[in-house]
Amino acid sequence: MIISYNWLKEYLDIDVDPQELKDILTYAGIEVEAVDNIGKNLDQIKVGLIKDKIKHPNADKLSICHVDTGQETVQVICGAPNCATDQKIAFAGIGTKLQDMKIKKVKLRGVESFGMICSEKELGISENHDGILELPEDAPVGENLSSYLKLKDTCYDVEITPNRPDLLGMIGVARDLAAIRNKKIILPKIELSTSKDKIQNFLTLENFAPKKCTRYTARLIKNVTIKDSPIWLQKRLLAVGLHPINNVVDVTNFVMLEFGHPLHAFDLANIQDKKIVVRMAKENEKFPALDDETYSLTTEDLVIADAERPIALAGIIGGKNSLITKETKDIVIEAANFLYSNIRKTGNRLKISTDSSYRFERDIADDTADIVSRRAAQLILKTAGGELLEGKLDSYPAPQTPKKVKLRQSRIKKVLTIDLSQRQIAAYLEGLGLKLISQKDDEQIFQIPSFRKDLTREIDLIEEIIRLFGYNNVDTHLRSQKIMDRKRFYLRRKLKRIMVENGFSEIRNWSFGDPADLQKMEIQAEDERWKLAKLKNPLGDSFSVMRSTLIPDLLKNARFNFNHGQKDIKTFELNKAYTRDKEQKLATEKFHLSALLSGNSRPIYWKETNQKIDFYEVKGIVEEIISLFPLQDLKYLQSTENYFQQGQAATIQWQKKKIGELGKIDRKIAGKFDLEQDVFILDLDLEKLFSALKTEVHNFQPIPKYPPVLRDLSFIISKKYEFLKIKKEIASVNKTIKKIVLFDEYQGENIDLDKRSLSFSITFSSDTKTLTDEYINKIIKLIIDRLRSKFDIEMR
Amino acid sequence: MQAELDKVYQKARSEIEQAKNIPELLNLKSKYIGKKSLLNKLMKQISSLPKEERPEFGKKLNIAKNKIQELITIRENQIQEIQYKNELKSEAIDVTMPGRKRKIGNLHPITLVMQEIEDIFISMGFDVVEGPDIEDEFHNFDALNTPPDHPARNLSDTFYLDNDILLRTQTSTVQIRTMEKYQPPIKIISPGSCYRNENDATHSPMFHQVEALVVDEGINFVDLRDILNDFVKKMFGDRIQTRFRPHFFPFTEPSAEMDISCVKCFGKGCNLCKGTGWLEMGGAGMVDPNVFEMLKIDPEKYTGYAFGLGIDRIAMVKYNIPDMRMLFENDIRFLKQF
Ligand SMILES: [Zn+2]
Repeated sequence: MIISYNWLKEYLDIDVDPQELKDILTYAGIEVEAVDNIGKNLDQIKVGLIKDKIKHPNADKLSICHVDTGQETVQVICGAPNCATDQKIAFAGIGTKLQDMKIKKVKLRGVESFGMICSEKELGISENHDGILELPEDAPVGENLSSYLKLKDTCYDVEITPNRPDLLGMIGVARDLAAIRNKKIILPKIELSTSKDKIQNFLTLENFAPKKCTRYTARLIKNVTIKDSPIWLQKRLLAVGLHPINNVVDVTNFVMLEFGHPLHAFDLANIQDKKIVVRMAKENEKFPALDDETYSLTTEDLVIADAERPIALAGIIGGKNSLITKETKDIVIEAANFLYSNIRKTGNRLKISTDSSYRFERDIADDTADIVSRRAAQLILKTAGGELLEGKLDSYPAPQTPKKVKLRQSRIKKVLTIDLSQRQIAAYLEGLGLKLISQKDDEQIFQIPSFRKDLTREIDLIEEIIRLFGYNNVDTHLRSQKIMDRKRFYLRRKLKRIMVENGFSEIRNWSFGDPADLQKMEIQAEDERWKLAKLKNPLGDSFSVMRSTLIPDLLKNARFNFNHGQKDIKTFELNKAYTRDKEQKLATEKFHLSALLSGNSRPIYWKETNQKIDFYEVKGIVEEIISLFPLQDLKYLQSTENYFQQGQAATIQWQKKKIGELGKIDRKIAGKFDLEQDVFILDLDLEKLFSALKTEVHNFQPIPKYPPVLRDLSFIISKKYEFLKIKKEIASVNKTIKKIVLFDEYQGENIDLDKRSLSFSITFSSDTKTLTDEYINKIIKLIIDRLRSKFDIEMR
Repeated sequence: MQAELDKVYQKARSEIEQAKNIPELLNLKSKYIGKKSLLNKLMKQISSLPKEERPEFGKKLNIAKNKIQELITIRENQIQEIQYKNELKSEAIDVTMPGRKRKIGNLHPITLVMQEIEDIFISMGFDVVEGPDIEDEFHNFDALNTPPDHPARNLSDTFYLDNDILLRTQTSTVQIRTMEKYQPPIKIISPGSCYRNENDATHSPMFHQVEALVVDEGINFVDLRDILNDFVKKMFGDRIQTRFRPHFFPFTEPSAEMDISCVKCFGKGCNLCKGTGWLEMGGAGMVDPNVFEMLKIDPEKYTGYAFGLGIDRIAMVKYNIPDMRMLFENDIRFLKQF
């Protein structure tokens, strides 16, 4: 439903601007889905004055006018019949954007025109296009039309939940807002003067379906003049997206939008025998509706009929046979209520949904029928003239007795935690139209208004209280705060999982260390691992410090397991390493992930020959771990640590800092630890890795639309060029190169001693097209040319 | 000629049924129903028959031809089926031979128990917080309501680095550090390594603990008992009971020690529980108001509880490990059991 800010203001002193109102509506449970600023495009339209008018020399129907715009006088060609000298009009100058067009200087039959005098339709304020908009004499020339006519409005497209049919009218929304803002709602005053004639003398009513038509009222107005509605009425309808038709139909629509209760108007002349009959349709009875369709009805469908035929499908759509036309003189105003389930059933079967059926099928109140009938009569008299006959026809088979609901203060406290006095509770609920009937200790009885059928239990009233109090205004009870470093906690777990998945057993050693181990490892004197945290009262010399590296324990543990016949070992420890400077009060405690590999890479298997662990197996694990962190420009440099075998170990460097190392333990050093087989170590400083984790954004990459193309490339190249350098060079040739995988290295027969053969599998793909063979061949040739000139390669 | 036809048909039938492979079958096809076949020869001889017998014989000839074709098709299918079965037979393998295993490693039993404890408490809304192993006396003793001359401050049990710098003897130090930094509500556990200067079958100089601290308005003794009960049942199973015994800890008042019913005998008495039916699980209590005062937390407004559990002991009970030293020996044959 669409709600207009200006319209709401008629019922309520709104003290907030349209933007703020949007939030208030949403927090009240009326969710605003879109906002439309009406009249914004009319800012350039001004009030103008036609100073003189002469006939166009070359066109009968056109006139040449001179218009005072408040700033200047311009010449304008106008074709409207009602354009006249001294008339105040709406003027659009050159450059003005109006609806879909932009006003330009034009020449009409040889005479130039510098703007346009606008009709109501051109301005979008009504459907009237018979002539130009005539403004009152006192309209100030040069003023913005939109502010003069108050054309600016803000409209909200809101979602009304199915339990709240009372919000399907402006007054219902205004009532909720009034209750929230603690204001009084101003209902329209309805005073009617009637003629002496009684309606009963002109029209009769029979209700044969009291269960399905729970209320039916009719009023009769004679001698109306059907014409276009006044601007104020058209403006209201247009603002909420309804097309004006004529004054009587517009009034019924207006009142429906105002109160949320639909009505209908019949032409009395077309009611046979002046008899309104509410009855079930006959099987296969035909009904010609206003939408130009003829519907075939069943005995399940309720109709409003005259003596002979249906003139309306009750609550859903009017009949073509009784509609209001220009010739209509006497009209019958129907305001009724129908059983919601029956409206829904008929509407669904015939596939008709109207503003009227939308409201009736949500179960609205019986007793607003008379109010909207009187309101419609009042507005028809005002806009279409005529005289209202005395009295009304009214069938109200079973008037509803108002429901009563008990509400306990203590229950509100229990459910919502908020303490409200009985006076405050009453104030909230009375704002919504409930009536306090009685109260004693901790108990109030409220009478529920007919339009709030959704309120039947105590908990329903409690929901209303919190809605008005504000869901977000209740004090929070959240008893937690972010003390935990979740990122590091779960990352450490993930690292352990990766190691386990790669076949490693986790070990845990005491945190104590032995300085003699550092000596055995020949760790250089300036290395920070010599900044030891020494114990004053250790268990013994071999436990005299807190360990500054986890590597010695891994080596000693490997020896223990070798001695027990376990020759294939993959172990890791993820734990703290400690260092302490002389000036330091406490110590530096850093988590390290350290691992040891030795023996066969995999358990012996009858189908395969055994493979010994080598440097690249360790590096694969390091690469898997490193890939969790956004480390760009990571470098693997030859390690210079004494405990590693020179040429088979690397230092991992990122942003010029060492973040870890891996390699084969030097045989002499291994001997000092009594290790008789080759041992590989990896050691990562997790504090440095974690520090790279600043942002946690993980954007998914779209899956490529076009299939990849794979090509192999083999060549002989000097050993002085490192793999990484070659790979980078290939990657830089073309952006369709997405992946470069080394699948073979060969040295030996037929190849010079200082050279090696490398084989790459290169994946090409494009985000915009399927790559042709021809294209790939071209790129391959570019790669070869580049490698030839840079590295002097030789193709195999 | 009729007799000859019958003879040819019978012969064709027996030869086709015995054909061993497809080429053989193709030969038979051309021999009997091909252009230069026996049947075709008979067809050419049809003119030698009396005129009235010719149509009848022609019919019979056709029927015989169709039948032979049918026999060939049937045999062809049979041969293909046999060949397929033979193929499968040659591909058959010994399904009892060992499969290709991806060797997955294992976490240390202490890690397994620690993660399980962490996960139970995280699911109950606790944060996990860690702190330094190398601590000062304030966080390890003073702030925990254990002034220098206090009998609970057993110097010979503690490893020192300097006069007032030591290896923490419990992870309660992390609780103090958290309360220094945060006002309540606080709901944390702090797992980690602790150190005491002793070494035998039941005591290791380094061991693992998890301590919990909850401080908020309205926290009471029943909350403490409830959460420990809940934890024990989640960790060891619904049959396990708990009991609280009065005890002394300097930083809690009232203080208690918690026992759980023996996980092996469920209270009947066995060698694990030394016949008592109960196992000691850890210490607990309501945080002493003095501790709050020292940390500038309003002891009138807030109350809290704390408890500590020995992770190594839980691992030993859970996995029935007899000697604490096995946990730190890291024998691969031991580790691979987890
Ligand atoms: Zn027992």
